[in-house]
Amino acid sequence: MKKLQILLIASVAAFQFSCNPLEVKELVDPNNPSEASVLNNASRSQIQFLVTGLEQRHKGYVTNVSQAWNTFGREVWYLNGSDPRFQTDWLGQAGRVPDAAYFGFGATGGGSYATPYQCIKQGYVLIDAAQNSAALTAQEKSAVAGFAKTIMAYQFIIPANWQYENGIRTDIKDPLKPGGFRTYTAALGFIDSLLTAGYADLNAAGTTFPFTLTAGWNGFNNIDGLKRVNRAIAARVAIYRKDWNGALTALGNSFMNLTGILGAGPAHTFGAPPDGFNPLYYVPDASVNTIIVVHPSVLADATPNDARVAAKFHQRTTPVTITTDAAPLVGTHQDKRWASNTSPIPFIKNEELILIKAEAHAQLGQTTDAVNAINIIRTAANIGNYGGATTQAALIDEILYQRRYSLWAEPWGHRWIDARRYDRLNTIPTSYDQGTIFKQFPRPQAEINWDLYAGG
Amino acid sequence: MQKRYLFRMLLLFVFFGRMTAADAQGFTATGTIKEAGTGNPLAGVSVTIKGTKQVTTTDASGTFSIKPTGRTAVLVLNYVGYKTTEIAVSADRPTVTVSMEEDISPLKEVVITGLASSIKRSNLANAVTTVSARDLTGTTQIQTTDGALYGKVPGANIRMNSGAPGGGINIQLRGLSSLTQASAPLIVLDGVYISNDFQRTGRASVTGAGAASQDDGANRLADINPADIESIEVLKGPSAAAMYGTRANAGVLVINTRKGAAGKTTVSFAQDIGMATPLKLMGVDNWSEAKINSFFPVARRPIELTRYQNAVASGTFIDYEDYFYGNTATLLNTRLSVRGGDEKTKFFLSGSMTDEGGTVRRTGFERQSIRANIDHKLTKDITLSIGSNYTRTNTDRGFTGNQNNSGASIGYNISYVPNYFDLRPVGGVYPANPYFAENPVAVTDKGINNSVVNRFIQSFGLDVNLLRTERSQLKFKVNGGLDFFQNSTKVYLPDDLQFQRAQANPGDVLVGRQQTMNTNFQAAMVYNWELKKISMTTQAGMVRLDFKNDGLFNRGRGLAPGQSNIKQATVQEVEAQFENSQRDVGIFLQQEANYEDKIIGTVGIRWDKSNTNGDPNKYYAFPKASLAINLTNFDFWKSRTITQLKPRVAYGQTAGPVPFGATFTSLGGVNIGGLLGSTVAVNVGNLNIRPERAQEIEFGLDAGFFNNKLMLEATYYIKTTKDNLQPLNLSPATGVATTLSNEAEMRNNGIELALSGTVLQKENIKWTSRLMWWKNDVKITRLGIPSYTAGAFGTGLGTFLYQQGIAPTTIVGTPAISPGVFTVWGNAQPDWTSSWSNNITFLKNFDLNFLMEYRSGGDNVNLTSFLTDGGGTTKGWFDDDNKDGIPNGRQRNPAPYNNAGRWVQDATFLKVREIGLYYTVPKGFLSKTFGRVIQRAKVGLSGNNVFLKTKYVGYDPETSTFGAQAVANNVDVAPYPTARRLFFHLQIDF
Repeated sequence: MKKLQILLIASVAAFQFSCNPLEVKELVDPNNPSEASVLNNASRSQIQFLVTGLEQRHKGYVTNVSQAWNTFGREVWYLNGSDPRFQTDWLGQAGRVPDAAYFGFGATGGGSYATPYQCIKQGYVLIDAAQNSAALTAQEKSAVAGFAKTIMAYQFIIPANWQYENGIRTDIKDPLKPGGFRTYTAALGFIDSLLTAGYADLNAAGTTFPFTLTAGWNGFNNIDGLKRVNRAIAARVAIYRKDWNGALTALGNSFMNLTGILGAGPAHTFGAPPDGFNPLYYVPDASVNTIIVVHPSVLADATPNDARVAAKFHQRTTPVTITTDAAPLVGTHQDKRWASNTSPIPFIKNEELILIKAEAHAQLGQTTDAVNAINIIRTAANIGNYGGATTQAALIDEILYQRRYSLWAEPWGHRWIDARRYDRLNTIPTSYDQGTIFKQFPRPQAEINWDLYAGG
Repeated sequence: MQKRYLFRMLLLFVFFGRMTAADAQGFTATGTIKEAGTGNPLAGVSVTIKGTKQVTTTDASGTFSIKPTGRTAVLVLNYVGYKTTEIAVSADRPTVTVSMEEDISPLKEVVITGLASSIKRSNLANAVTTVSARDLTGTTQIQTTDGALYGKVPGANIRMNSGAPGGGINIQLRGLSSLTQASAPLIVLDGVYISNDFQRTGRASVTGAGAASQDDGANRLADINPADIESIEVLKGPSAAAMYGTRANAGVLVINTRKGAAGKTTVSFAQDIGMATPLKLMGVDNWSEAKINSFFPVARRPIELTRYQNAVASGTFIDYEDYFYGNTATLLNTRLSVRGGDEKTKFFLSGSMTDEGGTVRRTGFERQSIRANIDHKLTKDITLSIGSNYTRTNTDRGFTGNQNNSGASIGYNISYVPNYFDLRPVGGVYPANPYFAENPVAVTDKGINNSVVNRFIQSFGLDVNLLRTERSQLKFKVNGGLDFFQNSTKVYLPDDLQFQRAQANPGDVLVGRQQTMNTNFQAAMVYNWELKKISMTTQAGMVRLDFKNDGLFNRGRGLAPGQSNIKQATVQEVEAQFENSQRDVGIFLQQEANYEDKIIGTVGIRWDKSNTNGDPNKYYAFPKASLAINLTNFDFWKSRTITQLKPRVAYGQTAGPVPFGATFTSLGGVNIGGLLGSTVAVNVGNLNIRPERAQEIEFGLDAGFFNNKLMLEATYYIKTTKDNLQPLNLSPATGVATTLSNEAEMRNNGIELALSGTVLQKENIKWTSRLMWWKNDVKITRLGIPSYTAGAFGTGLGTFLYQQGIAPTTIVGTPAISPGVFTVWGNAQPDWTSSWSNNITFLKNFDLNFLMEYRSGGDNVNLTSFLTDGGGTTKGWFDDDNKDGIPNGRQRNPAPYNNAGRWVQDATFLKVREIGLYYTVPKGFLSKTFGRVIQRAKVGLSGNNVFLKTKYVGYDPETSTFGAQAVANNVDVAPYPTARRLFFHLQIDF
């Protein structure tokens, strides 16, 4: 038995010395590639994955901005039977006003702030990866940079509009050393120059975009199409900057087509998993208590026989009623724009460009051009030509009214921003919900905290 | 390198062979040892010749034989659970018969202090609580082991997350050791590091509640059959648990299962039959026309009034709370065990079947378990022990708790349904619920929330005596094992439910497969030697732990009618897939010194490294030291009143592991428009991340009075943590969200008192009692990053404030005092907890046990009230206490009525945790009736959670919608109500 004992000890000792039991192997993420793997000499397919990743990040804001900003501008109510704060907090009932970590946005600003910046970060990584890749020609690198900068500029507008007078950071490349906050005006200037830089890159990019884009870019998936989208976004930024001539110049190089389909424009792609469903789609007349409904003031203010009303609003067989501990809300109409839960959502379209043209002309006193543009919209909506006063103020009233119906509930919060641009937030009705109209959001708590941390 | 060299030296040492003590002249002493009272022979009693290392054990018939060297000797008889007895023998009187008395004082029990050695409780320097089988399961049947620890461990804050069948319990020992991890103890079962994870079920995804933390899942300790457990040693903090190193920050539960015993084979059979009913229901509010006119908007009133009038006419009002929760469930448990063996081989075999229903229809918990524990002496000096356990659990937890939009939560849903509307099906058709998105009766009747776990746990141990002399002994110990399980989950909401019909793709099924494989291995040398009058124990060894966890979740939406196979879905999706792995290794050294049981000191150190750390090859050191002084063992001690007095002090360090993935900066996989994309992750890996560290100093005094009939154990500890893991929120404008940091530091200090003793001892009655009291205060001493709020549902509904100088359990909420600074409304941490347990034996054959627990203070965030107020169903909603015309349900204190403070509520409670009355059938009757077939028979009645007294509005002051969390573990969102469980028991030994 002594032999057995020695044998046992010997085998244990042998085990100890043969395969070192004290060794641990370094962990490599078994589930994902690392960010570092694309930053140095990425392959074409790796660049393609980053391009598609940018498209994915580009639609990240849609749900939050559509639900919240369109509620702030009372284009819709986002009725939610499961969490009354979508009513009480977002409508500003009982005098509630946003704080630095408000419901629905959290400490990081969520879909209205952190998410667009994640898209911008993706853009920077894509540009760097393309720059450092030996697989791409100089022309291809320009194409990628131009596309990325166009998307990044679009995304920068979202936090800028949400923070408004509180300003935003524009120098954000180094995650541990972000730049300071810049005013709304300065931020818009930065965005405009980013668009210009992207446009210059695209001008040096030949004719074919070297990577595959999703179907949302059909009609725009070559260098010429991307340049027209870039200029369309520049036109939107120009009217926010009150650069009326700049807006007209940009429109000239955009995809605006006065005789074309008003709904034409690039769109966010949605689909069945592994893609994501269209977040704005609800089954018609579904017996649910969470749904986006048309705000009663939009129905009340509509022009009789407006084709947009028939096309966009569906009268439910049973209204949706939400009873919370504040005022009860009743939604009679739901969104009719989406054929299915895989329908794409346009993010800028010809109709908006024509309205930008009308506004720029009106602001520049070019009344005839303004009225002509307005009439394109009115004709399409079946409400006849404009017959009202042609003073600048009357035209602006008319253009803002048409924007309410032409751009209703787009993932942008047009009415909220338009009312603020013209200092008309007080014209947004609160009588239906006893709420408050917010002007802007305070700087997110996470930004305040970062400055405290970085500042010592 | 140096450490490894040392280890090799130690191994070489073993090859020198061994010496044996030469026989000397003397005589042979023999004897029989019996149990006092019954006269049954006691097998396995250790018989030592006093003053020597010579030892033997009694065989199955209780007899022994030993050869003292001189003419006379004193034999010391030791047996766990019995008083140590000394008996003189001599060459003239070599044969003795001894009766040993049962010992109710626990001083002699053996407690594990190192990884490879143990110590007598009377010499212990830490307040290690040992929960015996009798304490654990002796009074009543509790589904899960952790549930059976309530009120039995001073310093433990145990919370049940919900009353759903199959567990879901969070144990925190001595406050918080972590801000981000669950702060739950490590569990080592027979030397195997077993998983106690809360695995994802997918309920939260399908119902829209959110992340997996809101699944209301069970923790996997639920797989262990509590009846197999012999004892649980609770190492509460770093000072006791230092030798466990990296995973011991939140303490360790060392679970030992039952072993075989030499002697006659005993077959035990037990059957429990019981029932469960809800412990407490809140009641629902009645409606009136006036209330309808007040509650509903004008347009809605006519239809509501019609519905109400119809209900009045037909007398149909439904108390939905009672309808869903007020059912009586059947509880069945069957256990069979076989225990026996001889001096060479001992075995314990057990099988059990648990089939316990829930108080909600179509919910329940089943567990089948088989176990074989075998110890075999290969030679006199080599002992091999193995334990094998297969269990299968099948849990249906139903649909309760949080949800979003889907309506698939009973409690959430019925908060909004007035009692005059009938949701019950007529002819198989479930009426649409006009008050919420779903008919909860249909969800209860048709939905599935199931988890089946198949688990195998294997342990092994090998003890080799390499060297034995009269004054020293060298042992080599190897042990380890594996824990493997597969968890199959299915959450299914069929296509014909109201909410599903309203979806583009009706019908939703999420099928998960998770696989866990943990293995561990430990090798150690233990050397016992003497240095003059000091007994020394030296040990050195190494530990290796490997953890692997994989999962795959698939989802199908748009299902064919009545089908739940994903291939029957319109939209088929790989919802998640992951692989995790982790390896830790450690080296340890420990030196104990015992001066005649008077002064006992220990020093030790462990070094650990892990591949989840920023530097996978860096060793972190965890030292420990302790000292205990048994004053009563000194010759100068004369008092007969104070029979034990032991001041003690212990210090130790431990760590909490870095979670898998903290070092990775990854690209996520996304799909859009048929293309695969890579997105930059929002979490930045930290390549410098370190494990979180804790150190603890513990002071205690153990005293025994009147021959230890009254015992006091008092402990004060200070546990400080540093390098606490917490996400550092980066500027969100940089496009990334967080990186894990090591900035925070905390301090816990607390008191634990336990007083136990015999209250009454007369001929026909014996009453023993134990009173325990404990409290813990936690504070963040350094945050290192700007203060922030996190947890629960934001400031509007009560959240937690993380700020230097305050407890992280501080609950804050609206109104804001200044921008970003919110009102403090409460604290989740209890002020103190107390428990009282009693055992009364009377009229010889009756046993009465009861255990009560009182928890003082500690606030909950009660959002169940928030929901019922929103739906007008809170009992007394329409009352108007301040007569201002606004009903109470719209105007909860404190003014100005719309802030977070109204939901923060005191969760003080008194619970009768366990009560049991047993009758042991007299032996005479058994032998007369059944001959010698039945050795013992016992019948009894018992209850678990039989009584609750609290002012808290809610089903149970213990609840956590977010499951096991370090901090936010007190949020109440429409949970599954806790059950009151009553049993009849029958126990027969053959």
